[in-house]
Amino acid sequence: MSAPDALRVVTLAAQAEMALVRRDTVAGPLLAQAARAAEGMPAGPLLTHAAAMVRGEPDREAVRQAALSLCRMALQEAQADMLGDAPR
Amino acid sequence: MSGRLLGQDASVLRSAGADVDALAGIEEWARRSVVVPEGTLVVDAHVHLGVDRDGHKLSAADLVADLDANGIDRAVAFPADEPGPGGDFRESNGRVLKAAGAHPSRIIPFCRVDPAVGAEAAMDEAQAGGARGLKLHPVAQRFAPEGDECVAVVRRATDLGWPVLFHAGFGARALGPAFTALLERVPDARLILAHGGRGDHRALAVLAAAYPDVVFDTSIAALPDLVSLPPERIVFGTDRPYGDHAQALHLVGAAARVAGWDATAVRGVLGGNIMRLLGGAS
Repeated sequence: MSAPDALRVVTLAAQAEMALVRRDTVAGPLLAQAARAAEGMPAGPLLTHAAAMVRGEPDREAVRQAALSLCRMALQEAQADMLGDAPR
Repeated sequence: MSGRLLGQDASVLRSAGADVDALAGIEEWARRSVVVPEGTLVVDAHVHLGVDRDGHKLSAADLVADLDANGIDRAVAFPADEPGPGGDFRESNGRVLKAAGAHPSRIIPFCRVDPAVGAEAAMDEAQAGGARGLKLHPVAQRFAPEGDECVAVVRRATDLGWPVLFHAGFGARALGPAFTALLERVPDARLILAHGGRGDHRALAVLAAAYPDVVFDTSIAALPDLVSLPPERIVFGTDRPYGDHAQALHLVGAAARVAGWDATAVRGVLGGNIMRLLGGAS
């Protein structure tokens, strides 16, 4: 992954994380953008599932919490890549 | 698949249209991202029990189910932000102590107080009931860590041999000067700074270097913060019900890979460090 690609995912995932925490409706669009930005990366499937869940039932608390978990893991994957994690 | 997924009721996620089989696969992948050395005691150092004012809730039964599903041996638990009608947390502390009594091998009880509201009596009562430490939340209870009332509470906890877990994230106030002032007055305090100290990590990391009994928990922490710390200063935590075990284990796994932690370091982060801070008692 190139540094700009990783940084894009980190930025979008971090924005989506805080939107989910704040129960802001912008979380859905941000997750969708992050999922597209992360296609082909380890964070991609995590963000794709998070975006799908939030698109379906954005007001369910369990959905918000599960999407938050996936979003944070995606952020961690992208940050690890930027910090020099060896490919797995 | 267990009845719980990413810390949530799997049936609720299924009814909301989530692909629960895919989520179960992701959860298992996340758990496996940290290589747990054989014989490691895994301890979650940061769990809230009860019903928080903001609506988040976790019961002891659900916590134990989550521990079982994720291979976690024990959890340090304390009340959610439910100070009760007197504002002194005595009722919610009592509920946590009762939960620990019902699950003595799984739940290590901490009490929670508001330094401005009957803290000494609440701590005495909790100590008599078996509490092993103290949780303080300067943002929720609106106090300054370096204020006289908080210093007195930390002094009392330290005299009891208790570690003190401080919320240390998501606030506007600079935390470095506040905790510097606190530690100048109680230099032997054993502090657990939650969330990797993300509220002011760089300043707190510099401060902690001078105080060997100050550690950081991993709950909802930022990876760049964790990898810059010595692993012996890190304790595993989730912040349940705000975080979940799979995500928290994934974070430790990522940090271990990036920072190059060996098995001894991972064993310490996952449980050894918090048990040492608790005085080695089981």
